[in-house]
Amino acid sequence: MSLDMASVRFAYRRNTVLQGVDLSVAEGGFCALLGPNGSGKSTLTKIIARVLKPADGTVAFAGQDLLAAPRRDHARVVAYVPQSGAAPFEQTVREAVLLGRTPHIGLRPTRHDREVVDDAVDRLGLTGLRDRPLSQLSGGQAQRVLIARALAQQPRVLLLDEPTSALDLRYQIETLQIVRSVTREEGVTALIAIHDLNHAAHFCDQIVLLDGGRIVADGPPAEAYDPAVLSRVYGLDVLVNHGENGVEVRPSALEPAPGVIGAPAAAGARTAVAAR
Amino acid sequence: MATPLDSADTVGSPRAGAPTQTAVDPASPGAPTGPGGGGDGDRPAADRPTDDLPAARPRAAWAGRTAVLWTGTAVAVLVTAWCVTAGTSNAGFLDVWRSIRLAVLGGTLPADFAQTYSIITNLRLPRVLLAFAAGAALSLAGVVMQGLLRNPLVSPFTLGVSPAAAFGAALAILLTGGSAGSGSWLVIGSALGAALAVSAVVLGLASAKAMSAATLLLLGIALTQLFEAMTAALQFVADENTLQAIVRWTFGSVNDANWNDVMVVGACAVLALPLLLWFARDLNAIAFAGDDAAKSLGVNVTTVRVGLIIVSVVLAAVVVSFCGVIGFVGLVGPHIARLAIGADHRYLLPFSFLTGGLLLVVADTIGRTILAPSVIPVGIVVAFIGAPIFINLILTRRAAQ
Repeated sequence: MSLDMASVRFAYRRNTVLQGVDLSVAEGGFCALLGPNGSGKSTLTKIIARVLKPADGTVAFAGQDLLAAPRRDHARVVAYVPQSGAAPFEQTVREAVLLGRTPHIGLRPTRHDREVVDDAVDRLGLTGLRDRPLSQLSGGQAQRVLIARALAQQPRVLLLDEPTSALDLRYQIETLQIVRSVTREEGVTALIAIHDLNHAAHFCDQIVLLDGGRIVADGPPAEAYDPAVLSRVYGLDVLVNHGENGVEVRPSALEPAPGVIGAPAAAGARTAVAAR
Repeated sequence: MATPLDSADTVGSPRAGAPTQTAVDPASPGAPTGPGGGGDGDRPAADRPTDDLPAARPRAAWAGRTAVLWTGTAVAVLVTAWCVTAGTSNAGFLDVWRSIRLAVLGGTLPADFAQTYSIITNLRLPRVLLAFAAGAALSLAGVVMQGLLRNPLVSPFTLGVSPAAAFGAALAILLTGGSAGSGSWLVIGSALGAALAVSAVVLGLASAKAMSAATLLLLGIALTQLFEAMTAALQFVADENTLQAIVRWTFGSVNDANWNDVMVVGACAVLALPLLLWFARDLNAIAFAGDDAAKSLGVNVTTVRVGLIIVSVVLAAVVVSFCGVIGFVGLVGPHIARLAIGADHRYLLPFSFLTGGLLLVVADTIGRTILAPSVIPVGIVVAFIGAPIFINLILTRRAAQ
């Protein structure tokens, strides 16, 4: 069982964004979508989430066509975490997470729905905040509410559109830890659009590098990161270090100048954040 | 998008006025091991704080809102009944009850009660019930429009319904030389036709832009301007009598209320409530999560938006055609309700039905008693009452956040 995409194409009017994407993510895998701005990462997640309709191509999970299914059925399999934005009306954390039950509930939520919501709230560490209005949360907490909402949907596929972009370092790491634990413990397949190459390398099983709407690299982090390809895609010279803690990408410009003694790019030095 | 409260993101910062917060920030402990650990046990929420109010909370919150809803219903019935008693001729609660019983169940009408009975059943009841139905319908329509367009400043007239209806009415009044009064079916039909036609045009044009909220708002503004200019042009060519009739129509009122009006407007409001409640779940998803997330939650956003806008536009158009332009209820009714019962549309819809109806009934009662025997049109009174309430709501809510 896996999430499979074949020759997915998409264009905004004449602006081609995706030109034939073929991609397969194993069930329970954690796949990172990387690429510069405008490379099609967000578009691809939105197509799988059925926010956007592709011009061509298929998306299937476990052999089931996701694009042809009724929206409600699709929403029981695929959950989508958008970049967080302000809601126009006040809502408590628990009410916001309850929205995740939308594809499951009839006229009103049952006791079971409320239990699922409370589990999701607990899982994201929002227990003490659950009756608090969203407007009183910090950016990191608001992002966790959106992830809790997606978990309350009880999906088989979890899509995240740059969930870490607005977060500080601690919440970036926590968010990625949570998503990975969901993939490990519940076998949920996760696909994340993300900018940070090193975070992706550390947390994800599969790296997919997009450039101009095409996949230019696909594989485990250690294989997918090729300095030549990365340098071309981002338009910035980068180095790839294969250390004992996995691969690490550094812009060459941040390397110490030749001749400076005693400052080699030692393995395990985790300072660099690659091209943003 | 970051929230304005980003500065509170610092670890474990207790906020003023929220002492519980210190116990709350649960995610801190597990994290510092950092990415180097790499194992599967790095789940940050592992040791969350024991919460002091376990499982009882959801039921309590749920029961709370149901209680608010029932209390609101009881208050609405009592206040409405009291408004029937208010007026120049003496009538008590018992007289109202007796009249309703006589009218519904039949029976012999005592001679000494005949006049009171007639006033109550022919004048007061239709008037009060029309006011309630009109307010309820406008408020319901307001909730739906605010939710669908994700904008708390929207009212049922945002898409240009009321200027279009005013134009339709003015046209009918002008063409009949002022002989058709505001209660005539010709004027009502013309106003309704114009209001529905302009809504159809707005929706048709917006479909070219995938029904985005911003497009709908801008088209509404454009057509509002257009129809106001057209009505002004009609007023410019009208003679004194016709002009007076046109202007009087635009003061929304329930002065000529009869049972036919009550039946039509009441039926629309009462039928719309369960229909809208059926879509409360989808409305919640669109209003709170936005179009993209609502789609990913399994909602057919475009279909739901078009369908519900049609329902709310029809509600507003019917009310405007029968009562003239009664502004503000459609904006304020939903806000008062939201403050009392929260923004969940499952509760908000029925509760704003009550607040809108009550607001208009009270406004009309004040309008016909404060300067009795003169009657001030309810459209004017409701703005006098509604504006201070609304301003107060805005100011206190900002302070609370």
